[in-house]
Amino acid sequence: MSSIALAGNVSSVAAFHRRSEDRTAWLLAAPAIVLLLLFVLLPVAAVIFLGFTDFELGYGKFRLVGFENYAHLITDRTFRKSLWNTSVYTAIVAPVSIILGLGVALLIEGEPRARGFFRTVYFLPVASLIVAMATVWQYLFHPTIGPINELLALVGIPGPNWLGASNTVLYSLSIIGVWQSVGFNMVLFLAGLTAIPRELYAAAHVDGAKSALDRFFLVTWPMLGPTTLFVVTISITNAVKVFETVKMLTDGGPNKASEVLLFTIYQEGFVYLRVGYASAMTVVFLAILVVLMLLQYRVLDRRVHYT
Amino acid sequence: MKHFSRIFAAAAVSLAAALPAYAETTLTVHYPMPGFFKNVMDTISKKFMEENPDIKIQFASPSATYEEGIQTILRQAGTDEMPDITFIGLNRLRMLNERDVAVDLGPLVKKEGNMAELGFSDTILKLAQVNGKQVGLAFATSNPIMYYNADLVKAAGGDPDNPPKTWDEVIALGGKIKALGNGVDGIDFRWQGDDWMFSALLFGAGGKMLNEDESKVAFNGPEGEKAMEILERMVKEGGMPVFTKPAGEQAFAAGKVGFEFQTTGALVNTIKNVGDKFTLRTAKIPLIDPVTGHLPTGGNAVVILTKDAAKQDAAWKFAKFAAGPYGASVVVPGTGYVPNNELAAKSPQYLGDFYKKNPLFQAGLSQMPLMVPWYAFPGTNGVKVTQTIVDNLSRIVDQSATPKEALADAASDVEGMLPTQ
Repeated sequence: MSSIALAGNVSSVAAFHRRSEDRTAWLLAAPAIVLLLLFVLLPVAAVIFLGFTDFELGYGKFRLVGFENYAHLITDRTFRKSLWNTSVYTAIVAPVSIILGLGVALLIEGEPRARGFFRTVYFLPVASLIVAMATVWQYLFHPTIGPINELLALVGIPGPNWLGASNTVLYSLSIIGVWQSVGFNMVLFLAGLTAIPRELYAAAHVDGAKSALDRFFLVTWPMLGPTTLFVVTISITNAVKVFETVKMLTDGGPNKASEVLLFTIYQEGFVYLRVGYASAMTVVFLAILVVLMLLQYRVLDRRVHYT
Repeated sequence: MKHFSRIFAAAAVSLAAALPAYAETTLTVHYPMPGFFKNVMDTISKKFMEENPDIKIQFASPSATYEEGIQTILRQAGTDEMPDITFIGLNRLRMLNERDVAVDLGPLVKKEGNMAELGFSDTILKLAQVNGKQVGLAFATSNPIMYYNADLVKAAGGDPDNPPKTWDEVIALGGKIKALGNGVDGIDFRWQGDDWMFSALLFGAGGKMLNEDESKVAFNGPEGEKAMEILERMVKEGGMPVFTKPAGEQAFAAGKVGFEFQTTGALVNTIKNVGDKFTLRTAKIPLIDPVTGHLPTGGNAVVILTKDAAKQDAAWKFAKFAAGPYGASVVVPGTGYVPNNELAAKSPQYLGDFYKKNPLFQAGLSQMPLMVPWYAFPGTNGVKVTQTIVDNLSRIVDQSATPKEALADAASDVEGMLPTQ
């Protein structure tokens, strides 16, 4: 700031300063720019390019096929199924994990004792390795020897075949998805909650917001705006990116009932080795994410109250 | 400066002195599934280097699965990073061959002359051939067997010493085991994942996946129908629930399933998981047609990649050694795979005594004469086709389609995925 103030007086010196400052800025930003270019933009460009080819791993040559891959995508039953499944999964996991995450954060915030304990307990799923935890879930959900179904049998309810039946598998995976992300959302909300100035609550109290619900809607919720926006974004992206549990537990089955986008892309690209087609799918996948993010920022950003 | 160059010279001389006098070849070996094969590979390479002091084996970092293995190889093909030797899943050899990455072992086999003397019979050589071309040598081979819970079989009125020999008997006994109640199921047939176990039913009925010139689907004939019907009857009469792959293995190991049908390669792990929870027994898998029936071969083959002539000689030595009787005598007890070498199976020097002492391993061994290659479909959709078959099998198992419908759908889907000629 001070250099700009100086600029009004001695213009030539200021111009020099500005130029050298510009140079320094570019220099300092250069490593980040180079890395971004190398590891984000170039790969994306490569994927977009490969999406227009019929490249298959192991064959040296490939041919440009224009929009053939994309035309095929529209009629591809597997891809449509996996698009639908991913939407259903996201529609369950994102809202539920956000609401639960907020609820847990509020409860922990309101609880003076054992706060650290609860925080740790809820955060454990985030810190644990999902590949290992998937094995535990697979046991919990086991149709005959799983503890969940054994508990249900105690009260006389025949438990469903959680991961084995095509009409329940997606919901079972959603439960795991929620379990996985509630803790993460909780931590984010906790951080947001601690940032709310106490005086606001006192002021609200003076203004007649007596019940907890009033305080929540008058102070907490609006003040959490920026946090919520971030949590919504992260939750949706993470839900759309579901992969490990599917790969570990169901392999997309039975009969594609749990086929999700990343799994389909993985199968095409890495198992069937059809890199061109998988790239086209990836482009669609990226486009969906980008559109979602733009929409969210457009719609939500206007309503968010930044302090 | 002079000082430095003197040091360098001294270092160079001492280095040269440290090296053995003969020319040394270093082979880089890559393999998948370290969980199964790490110890096996270490043992084999150590022994190999003892016998061949002029060849050094070094390992590239192993890949977790067959799929990842072949990806790695295809990515590295033609670059300096490409290993000299790799191990490829038998059902992916065709894919590798279509991409022309592997060295044709045909001339090397011919030069060797009497491969049979080394324990490589024609049947065994054929397991790793694609359209008559010798792409590799079968290294670890398996076939599907029947595992059963002797306690449950006895409880349901069966005789554990006299296990069922036909599918009808299996299904009947499975139904009785299911009727025992207490959350017990009759059968777990590992139909998920790939088309291998479907092949076991289809080949067991004497059927084929495609016709002779691979232009048309052949699995929708009467053999395929029988195979699908057996699968349906397992569900309807034999007490087979809809399990995911790990769920089925878990339930069997927990003593809650009567019969399990899957690869003999899982034997050592199954023995470990079962522990002393119940008496585990194994037997031959029934064949729908005992006269013309065959069984698919799972496992992998050692494949030579290096184009360097000197290295190829060394690599051929290693391939023969790994796939030979010594290699087999390391692989079999460590995993449950069947010997891919006839010398190893019979000679008491290798595994002759092992089988006498470990009767659980005999089921796989006794089925060796029935083994035919695991069929790999042609063309770019080759691998995808197997998924289509599995999807349709799952429709039978969850009873959303009849065997006829599922078979017809699978046939028309697969037909559309075959290369147009």
